[in-house]
Amino acid sequence: MANLLWLQGGACSGNTMSFLNAEEPSAVDLVTDFGINILWHPSLGVELGDNMKALMESCVSGETDLDIFVFEGSVVNAPNGTGEWNRFAGKPMKEWVRLLSDKAQFVVALGDCATYGGIPAMAPNPSESEGMQFLKRERGGFLGPDFVAKSGLPVINIPGCPAHPDWVTQILVAVASGRAGDLTLDEFQRPKTFFSSFTQTGCTRNMHFAYKVSATEFGQRKGCLFYDLGCRGPMTHSPCNRILWNRQSSKTRAGMPCLGCTEPEFPFFDLEPGTLFKTQTVMGVPKDLPTGVDKKGYIKLTGAAKAASPEWAEEDMFVV
Amino acid sequence: MSDSDDKIRKQAEKLLKDGLKTEVFPRAYTQEQIQDVLTRIRQSDGSLEQRLIIGGFTLYPIEDEDIEQACETCMYYLVHRRYCELPELDVPVEAEWSCRLWRI
Repeated sequence: MANLLWLQGGACSGNTMSFLNAEEPSAVDLVTDFGINILWHPSLGVELGDNMKALMESCVSGETDLDIFVFEGSVVNAPNGTGEWNRFAGKPMKEWVRLLSDKAQFVVALGDCATYGGIPAMAPNPSESEGMQFLKRERGGFLGPDFVAKSGLPVINIPGCPAHPDWVTQILVAVASGRAGDLTLDEFQRPKTFFSSFTQTGCTRNMHFAYKVSATEFGQRKGCLFYDLGCRGPMTHSPCNRILWNRQSSKTRAGMPCLGCTEPEFPFFDLEPGTLFKTQTVMGVPKDLPTGVDKKGYIKLTGAAKAASPEWAEEDMFVV
Repeated sequence: MSDSDDKIRKQAEKLLKDGLKTEVFPRAYTQEQIQDVLTRIRQSDGSLEQRLIIGGFTLYPIEDEDIEQACETCMYYLVHRRYCELPELDVPVEAEWSCRLWRI
């Protein structure tokens, strides 16, 4: 039996909604089949008020073992570093986060806000938000760069806006079933199992990417969304086109550009006007090229690919 | 479709050969410049002539900083149809033509 406690900071509950939609395994499977005891969760917890506070205090005192502490949302430090803008059970949430993180065997940051600060931490960051162990790309965050949980692992980051439900439940199962040692984390502390490949991996528009045929308007069934509509699939690490959403589709399959929400910089360009759903270019060349591709190579490849493109690549086709 | 494309392509070629003055420079390199050009095209009468002028079309590729900006390599160019699919331009072209909205 592994005790799990889940709290929310500067959050929209999106990751909770996602978690509750998990299928392989489901949230219920975690309890019935994998021995996870959910001590409390904002949408599932029974305790209220003083009882909730007593539960958390018993985790902090060590009376109740805390195996997994999941935090959703940013750590709010405003105003002036006090954290008073986000109070919970009698004190700033950030104090609970510190106390519980120090007691937990494993700490899991869930969603882009908890991992890297996400939307709340975008400039000018009025809520003084930061992620658990990162602020955007900078390691440190609220818990500091040297933090490790009792298990010896740093914060396990599961980014996404929201994270895919099955990434969450599968990682929780790995932790609860004593296989946390199998989790290899990348430089941004994301489990490599999920975040080594690109969002583009498995995208049904890859043939259009290969032949450099661009989608020029939303709703087109042909064309790659990277060239003009701001898709970040070629430089974003996620399995969105391998582990499909609702077991059916993905953003890019449905014609929606990837926003890069599993990367620390999300939202890119601080959502300045004209940057959303528009590929940013410098002298006509994309500012952000597919990972590992340089400008010269990209230009050469494009010329060759376009010259070789077959006629069918220009035709509308069903890609969902 | 193809006959109609050919007709318009020839018409565009004739206009350019006859000396239609197009706004080749400045090239639309920044997001603001791109938006300005697109907005002007949208606000024009939408005629072929206006699209060629504001788009800055030429019958030859413009080269800037060692990058040849030919329709042939542009993301909006459909190779087989020989067509610019940028919604605001929406015009049959030739591979060696160029315009200031070129992007790769």
